Amino acid sequence: MFSVKGEMNMQESIKNIIRKALTFIFLAVITFISVLPIFWVVISSFKSTREITSSPLSLPTSFSFDGYLTAISVSPIFQYYGNSIIVSVAATLLNLIFMGMAAYVFARVKSKFINVLLAVMSVTLFIPITSMMQSIYSVIEAIGLYDTKTGLVLVYTAIGIPITLFVLRSFFLTIPKEIEESAYIDGASFVRTFFSIIVPIARPGFATAAIIQFINCWNEFLFALTLTSSNENRTVPLVLNYFTSMFSYDYTALFAALTMIVIPSIIIFILLQEQVVSGLSSGSVKG
Amino acid sequence: MKSNRLWYTLFLAPAILIFLLVFGFPVVNVIFTSFFDYKINQPMKFIGFDNYIALFSDKAFLISAKNTIIWVVLQGTVHVILGVAVALVLSHKPFGWKIVRTSYMIPIIISSAARAMLLLYVFNPQMGLVNSLFKMLGFENFSLNWYYDPSTSFWTVTSGWLFFASLITIIVMAEIATIPQSLYDAAKIDGASKLQTDLFVVLPLLRNVIGISVILAATSMLKEFELIFLTTNGGPNDTNLNLPLYLYKEAMMLNNYGYANSIGTLLIFLGLILIFTITKLFRFGQSDV
Repeated sequence: MFSVKGEMNMQESIKNIIRKALTFIFLAVITFISVLPIFWVVISSFKSTREITSSPLSLPTSFSFDGYLTAISVSPIFQYYGNSIIVSVAATLLNLIFMGMAAYVFARVKSKFINVLLAVMSVTLFIPITSMMQSIYSVIEAIGLYDTKTGLVLVYTAIGIPITLFVLRSFFLTIPKEIEESAYIDGASFVRTFFSIIVPIARPGFATAAIIQFINCWNEFLFALTLTSSNENRTVPLVLNYFTSMFSYDYTALFAALTMIVIPSIIIFILLQEQVVSGLSSGSVKG
Repeated sequence: MKSNRLWYTLFLAPAILIFLLVFGFPVVNVIFTSFFDYKINQPMKFIGFDNYIALFSDKAFLISAKNTIIWVVLQGTVHVILGVAVALVLSHKPFGWKIVRTSYMIPIIISSAARAMLLLYVFNPQMGLVNSLFKMLGFENFSLNWYYDPSTSFWTVTSGWLFFASLITIIVMAEIATIPQSLYDAAKIDGASKLQTDLFVVLPLLRNVIGISVILAATSMLKEFELIFLTTNGGPNDTNLNLPLYLYKEAMMLNNYGYANSIGTLLIFLGLILIFTITKLFRFGQSDV
């Protein structure tokens, strides 16, 4: 016979098991909805279109790279990749240089004008930029940058203003002023102090900002769609648009293209995971 | 220090210039031109509030506005609650928590254009993953067209973002990591269970970060575009249009600029109202610990 205490312990341990089971199911569901679709697409990309339509859940009977060959020959996917790399790298560099310089002034100078300017630039994070698509399109067209990589770089540099500003300014605020003061006493100029003393110290801040900015540029869709029209300037997210209109029933090629688009991002994310996680969490939290 | 003023100006100049070009001027332009009859290749004509008046008898606009508000509310509640729940569970570092975190991050790391295409085929009526699973479970003739059947399309579109709350999860986890261990120990000594500790000790400490999450999640729905554009494109019968997509169609397909910009103006004001209300609701900056 169980004692009263024993029954309580039994109840406790049953509760415990149920709680653990529920936790497990919850986390399993979260994991499945996140990765199952990607596994399915990657595996299907090696099947023939007939296999995909007749038995969508089966493993491929033989590994075929036909889908990849078709995707490469029909779509300019590598060209789009090249464009994405150029645009994202350029927009990240420009954004870091310009916003680094501005964030430094924002961290060091106290005045009413500076505070207002900082508030105005920061609030753009929450203003839906989609609301300005026609105006931005007009501006870019008016300065002759429609359907150019430069136009995209300009817009992407600006889109990253609030987040980069926040990340870098917070970092600069943690650097003690004495470091610069001693540099000034040694006769270093303002510019020199910034580039040869402050920037190297703030390298982790720049890395964080760079990761967020790069991911955002790499994934941007709306402005790539509205500000470019030719294959010379279009970026990776638009290649899919190309696919659905070009050959929507060649599932193998489509899935191969999807695989080629998502796998590099996933591999890079897994390699840089800790930096991405800390970057995204510090970049999004605006105090 | 006085000589540095010139440098301050020069250091700020590029940022200000780009800001004015891509945000400053366009914001003014959106609001200004919303009061004009402004189409491509024709002179602009001032018409006062006519665009706005027209909007409120435009069925597609009313649907877009209604959907946008529903999605803002869902994202600011369900999405945030899910993200916080995952964060609380993962903060105890259960077996495999890192794999779960990594997996959960993947949908937001790939571009939303890629996610939209993945989902389009996951929900494909003939060979899609979801219907194939139903068929495997014995529903032989299951061929629901999730994205285009009027009874399911709204919720299928919604599922494209509602459950992928990993950004909220990692922000909240970062905040939980700053809570001192002594607080957990104290709760344990007082006889609180893990669940009680999470609900009554940890959760109240997360008020600020949850407020920020609500702002992020809610305002993100004022920008959502590709997960609708690439799946249903607002159909069937405009039932899942939202304001950004409707704006896109008016501006880029119909070149109806003034009208599109009146939608843009409303979007900007909606964003400001959201930030203001949520900030008030969560009483930011006021500490009660």
